[in-house]
Amino acid sequence: MTSTQITTPVRTPAGQSPAPRRSPRDRGTRLLATLFLAPTLVGIVVFTVVPIVGSVVLSLFQWNVIDSPSFAGTANYREIFGNSTVLVSFRNTLVFMVFAVALQMLVALALALTLTGRMPVWLRSVFRSAFFFPLVLSAASISVVMKYLFNQDFGVVNWLIGLVGIAPVPWLTSENAAMATVVIVYVWQQFGFSFLLFVGGLNNIPKEIHEAASLDGATGLRKHLHITLPLLSPTLLVATVVGVINALQVFEQPYVLTNGGPGDSTRTVVMVIYETAFEQLRFGEASAVGVLLFVLIMAVTALQFRLSRRFVHYQ
Amino acid sequence: MTDSHFTRRTLLRYGTYGAGAAALAGTAASWDRLTGADIPGRDDGSLVVATLGPAYGPEAISTLTEGFRKVHPDIKLRINAVQAVDWSDFFAKILTQIAAGTAPDLVYVATEGVQLFAQRLGVPLDRWVKRDAAQLKEYFADVHPSLVESMMYEGHLYQLPVEFNAADMYLNRQVLRRAGADFPAPDWTRNDFTTLLRAMKRSSGSQFTPYFWTNRLWGGVVPWLFNNGTNLLAESKAPGGAWLWDSFYPAAERRGRGGGFRWTTPQATDDRVEEAYDYLASLIHENLCTRPEGGNGQNLVGVFSTGRVGVTPAGGFWAGGLHLAGMKADAYDVQYFPRWRTQRMQFGAAGYALLRTSEKQDEAWEFIKYAARKDTLTALFDTNQTTPARRSLLTAGRYKETGPAHWPAFYGTLDKFPDTGPIPAPPQVAEVTEVLLKHTGTALASPRSVRPALRRMQSDLEKAMEREV
Repeated sequence: MTSTQITTPVRTPAGQSPAPRRSPRDRGTRLLATLFLAPTLVGIVVFTVVPIVGSVVLSLFQWNVIDSPSFAGTANYREIFGNSTVLVSFRNTLVFMVFAVALQMLVALALALTLTGRMPVWLRSVFRSAFFFPLVLSAASISVVMKYLFNQDFGVVNWLIGLVGIAPVPWLTSENAAMATVVIVYVWQQFGFSFLLFVGGLNNIPKEIHEAASLDGATGLRKHLHITLPLLSPTLLVATVVGVINALQVFEQPYVLTNGGPGDSTRTVVMVIYETAFEQLRFGEASAVGVLLFVLIMAVTALQFRLSRRFVHYQ
Repeated sequence: MTDSHFTRRTLLRYGTYGAGAAALAGTAASWDRLTGADIPGRDDGSLVVATLGPAYGPEAISTLTEGFRKVHPDIKLRINAVQAVDWSDFFAKILTQIAAGTAPDLVYVATEGVQLFAQRLGVPLDRWVKRDAAQLKEYFADVHPSLVESMMYEGHLYQLPVEFNAADMYLNRQVLRRAGADFPAPDWTRNDFTTLLRAMKRSSGSQFTPYFWTNRLWGGVVPWLFNNGTNLLAESKAPGGAWLWDSFYPAAERRGRGGGFRWTTPQATDDRVEEAYDYLASLIHENLCTRPEGGNGQNLVGVFSTGRVGVTPAGGFWAGGLHLAGMKADAYDVQYFPRWRTQRMQFGAAGYALLRTSEKQDEAWEFIKYAARKDTLTALFDTNQTTPARRSLLTAGRYKETGPAHWPAFYGTLDKFPDTGPIPAPPQVAEVTEVLLKHTGTALASPRSVRPALRRMQSDLEKAMEREV
């Protein structure tokens, strides 16, 4: 810890502590901090707060780009709740989020645990780079390639499973398989981020704790369950929160792979926002869906932090 | 926690840095620098023409601009090639430009967007067409009236078609030989088609798909509705249009023509629509065709050219695509869509729409005329990436290198079957397309799902058609 200025509070007769008086030095520090933070704050206001407020306002209007907006009150929200496509898209997004985040965490954690074990450093670096590589590629380009690979008739995936006698799977054209395919493609691309967080988290766990547990006779699995996971829980929380927020905003993979189909089986909320706004020119309704998605993300994130009090252990 | 001790000297130092930075910024701000206005053509009074980027490469853009400059040196022209994956994506980007206050003067619009642009954004070309009638007689004599009619809305003409593509059937000659099948006759039937697919399947391995098609508005399920004598939406003709037909077309060709198509009542639950879906479902069940994926069919060129697909619906644009993929002119061929109850086929056309917001409407009209000229289209479509709207451009010489041997089928789809119709594309086309693709996917994704999917399609289409755009 670096040095801090300690001031002794002056007791009042009533025993209450008055607000500490700020020295000119304190005021200078605050001024400087404000100056440094100002560009970021301006950026947040201009690029985050204003669009959010703008979306909320726009959600109360009907606007098709061509004509002037007209006030619609809550009509857009009523329209949403009567629109089965929008409701299905929320259900799909939640289903996608549950499976994608769970699978992403499992894959990333399993690989991170494997790679923090005994392995030559160079090989570890190769794996880390390979796992992180998909994350820096464009989701749209990856999805175009995956669309070829998962094609029912000409795709490599069906050719490979055909070698072991499995019948071709309609990966992208069956209502049951399409969502699973989108999840697989998404997880393949995204798990590298959680993987890197977990590798960092695992490296921060003091070796002494594991050594002490070994001396007490703990096995590998017990050590992971009772030492590694609890100590990794703050990292798990961060990875899950980020993973959930990203998954709730999924767009490119289902848009390119299946275009939301067959039927609405892979249509997500952000796809609905895009289609409603930019294809059907109902910007007010699209904004209303966007506002609901924002509320959903806030609620899910708040719930995660709330639940984390029980499961997250800070050293 | 950070150190909170800051001395007066430190503050003075930072203050000096700040003053220095401000002085530098002030100096930089006073220099001449590039701004958005410096982008060539922007805000310089140019006539701005928005085209679908992938269809117009740098060479095409250069052809258009240089040729136009020679004819009209007084009109500055800028081609804004908008990159988009399909027409709906393109329209979305154009509308975004309009919302941003940077609307182009002219927009290249296909059948899918003709009525939307006409209703909300377009300027009828009637007065200029009437004014320059003498000049345009040669153009209209060279262009099939069906293409022109597809560019009309409520009695007015909004575009001069420059290209079109009818949904014909491409056949792989190598696969035909393998199946011991003859090239089909122009009047082949749906049953002949099924028999051919079965022969292809028998003679090929498990990795072979006889019929491949894409789930989309053009060339998907809709041609099967057309040849079964039905359509997605009830169709009729708007009154009017006589001013054009009487001026440019002989009596035989103007018979039955009106002021453009009207797409009204959804009819997804019509018996014939269900019959068409049942037929496609039976082909899937028999492994004669794949469940349709969404997309634009670009990934199909590779599998077709390597003999893994036997038949697929495509337009004249595929002649150029297959040639680029290395397919020899005699390795494939094209035939009309097979007859069912009718042999009516489907086409989509494109031309330039003039926007109401344009302040250069007379100049824009000059560009529209220039773009429809024979020499312009010859230079623009030299690789057969589409079918030119002018009949006279479809010659043996044009298809000698790229093929196919039966290239006259491209224009023959219009000439021999004059009832061949445009894509059903009302102003609500975006939502109609989405509903069609969505429920077609569901209808053909699993057995016995056709009827419930069509019922839901009908309900969604009704809602879409009731909506104001």
